[in-house]
Amino acid sequence: MNVPEEVQFGVLTVVVILVLFYGITFLISTRIGKKEENADGYMTAGNNIGFGISAASMTATWIWASSMYASATSGYTYGISGPIHYGLWGALMILFIYPFGRRIRTVAPKAHTLAEVMYARHGRSSQVMLAGSNVVGSVISLMSNFIAGGALISLLSPFSFFQGVIAVAGGVLLYTLWSGFRASVLTDFVQVVAMLGAVVIIVPVIFFAADFPAAFETGAANLTPQQGNFFSSDAFLNQGAPYIAAVLAYAIGNQTIAQRLFAVREDLIKKTFVTATFGYGAMVIGVGMLGVLALYLGIEPAGGDVNNLVPQMAATYLTPALLVLFFVMIIGALSSTADSDLAALSSIVMTDGYGQTVGKENANPKTMLLIGRITMIVATAAAVAFASLQLSILDLLVFVGALWGALVFPVIASFYWDRVTNKAFTISVVAALAVFLPVRFSLVPLDGALGIVVDVLAVIGVGVVIGLMAFGFFGARVGRIAGAVAALASAPFAIGTLHEYTTLTASLVAYSVSTIVCTAISMRNRERFDFALIKQRVGDFDETPDDEPVAAGTASTT
Amino acid sequence: MSISTIALTVYVLMWPVIVAVVLFIIGRAFIKDWLEARREGRDII
Repeated sequence: MNVPEEVQFGVLTVVVILVLFYGITFLISTRIGKKEENADGYMTAGNNIGFGISAASMTATWIWASSMYASATSGYTYGISGPIHYGLWGALMILFIYPFGRRIRTVAPKAHTLAEVMYARHGRSSQVMLAGSNVVGSVISLMSNFIAGGALISLLSPFSFFQGVIAVAGGVLLYTLWSGFRASVLTDFVQVVAMLGAVVIIVPVIFFAADFPAAFETGAANLTPQQGNFFSSDAFLNQGAPYIAAVLAYAIGNQTIAQRLFAVREDLIKKTFVTATFGYGAMVIGVGMLGVLALYLGIEPAGGDVNNLVPQMAATYLTPALLVLFFVMIIGALSSTADSDLAALSSIVMTDGYGQTVGKENANPKTMLLIGRITMIVATAAAVAFASLQLSILDLLVFVGALWGALVFPVIASFYWDRVTNKAFTISVVAALAVFLPVRFSLVPLDGALGIVVDVLAVIGVGVVIGLMAFGFFGARVGRIAGAVAALASAPFAIGTLHEYTTLTASLVAYSVSTIVCTAISMRNRERFDFALIKQRVGDFDETPDDEPVAAGTASTT
Repeated sequence: MSISTIALTVYVLMWPVIVAVVLFIIGRAFIKDWLEARREGRDII
């Protein structure tokens, strides 16, 4: 197939684009900057954000550069259904969390982090587990976005990878440092307009420039039967199913989502999350289609690295002006997620590291702000250091993903079930991880009886995932029925074979073990927790004129 | 052009269309938020 040559930017062009992008973003952030920022505003913007900004921010935050590259990789690897098996399930992560989000806001309307609520509900160990997993997840995300920025800049310009990482890290820190979360969400709007606008233009332009739709016929021979099948079992089992299992885990484990949940006006939660579901899904699947087109065209990824596919398609088929738009789209995607990670990290350290340690009444908002800003600087430096080492983040991601999977049931149950205790929470998460690790890394042979036991646990995990999803929307009765039906329906196909798919099985086992242990220990508890206590224990750190005295903010176990 | 080619074309190009609709919804809502904040004399966030 006749493929045109790739376009590259000059030094001056890249410098001008980056200065304009981060300069304009910084100027926008100064519009809402205050000489004396407020600690609660720095973390949740007063819990009163409107629909436009919150929907834009949810969409922008959830779209990171890696999600676009991974969607295209999925399209290139698994064929026409590949982007669906990446983008659809990623989008559903946003949708399925909103019913729980409404409950969380009802129980803790003035919270800043989910971990803070766990402290008020249970105590320190539950808080540390959730906050720890949030911190590791955000640092990985931050590093991954810096890596994507460095890789893009080095691919499309004469600058080195490290110079690209420094430029992106410095730019993001510049506009986020002073106003924190408020700057993050406001600039997200501008970034999402750039990103979505770019997709609207770029995907059709590449489509026609690469000689589609005719290339669907001339390039059909480049696809295997599985790649050409919309209902490909390969795509489902290797890409889609592990993602379905991760739907709730990533949403629960991600402080950037929780932060927006606490920031949006309470009556706008549903509208915001539904809009972001469509925005994220359509954008990521749309970009993923570039991978499908590359497959039809028989394009080989540069250097054998599939992450180069999207920039490669853009550099090959876009005019220089549109390539600038593409560049802005990727820089916007990674910056919007990176600034959210910085805001998330600062909130966790401000609230869970300092505020809840000294006590809500004793916390000094000015000290909190200082801690938040120092956290941002330290986190940026750490992410740059990790990014420059170009460490493999896969194992760490797998571990954090498992930790989040193990946390899902205990966290959700803690908001609805008054019998869940700190002991049940902690032991169930540790037990789930203890079973997850040998399964995920094949530390024990899963042949014979052990394999059957693991399959049975995984089938229960299927029931837990489906049951929780149904529970969020339709209540406990429907949730239990849906979970039981899903487990029974999957059992004949899964038992005996599922353990061969270790990524999927390990995730499901993390869900099932934490659910079984948490339920068993909680059932033995005779005490009941009063959810109204959470509202008293979690609130604003800054004083407002209408503040009323509340009960001491010490958490107790039930 | 075969039916499968037409179907694939629609399948690839429908996503930018959905993105455009979402962009319109978010943009309109932002302008509404901004006008409301200006009328009330406060920051949009």
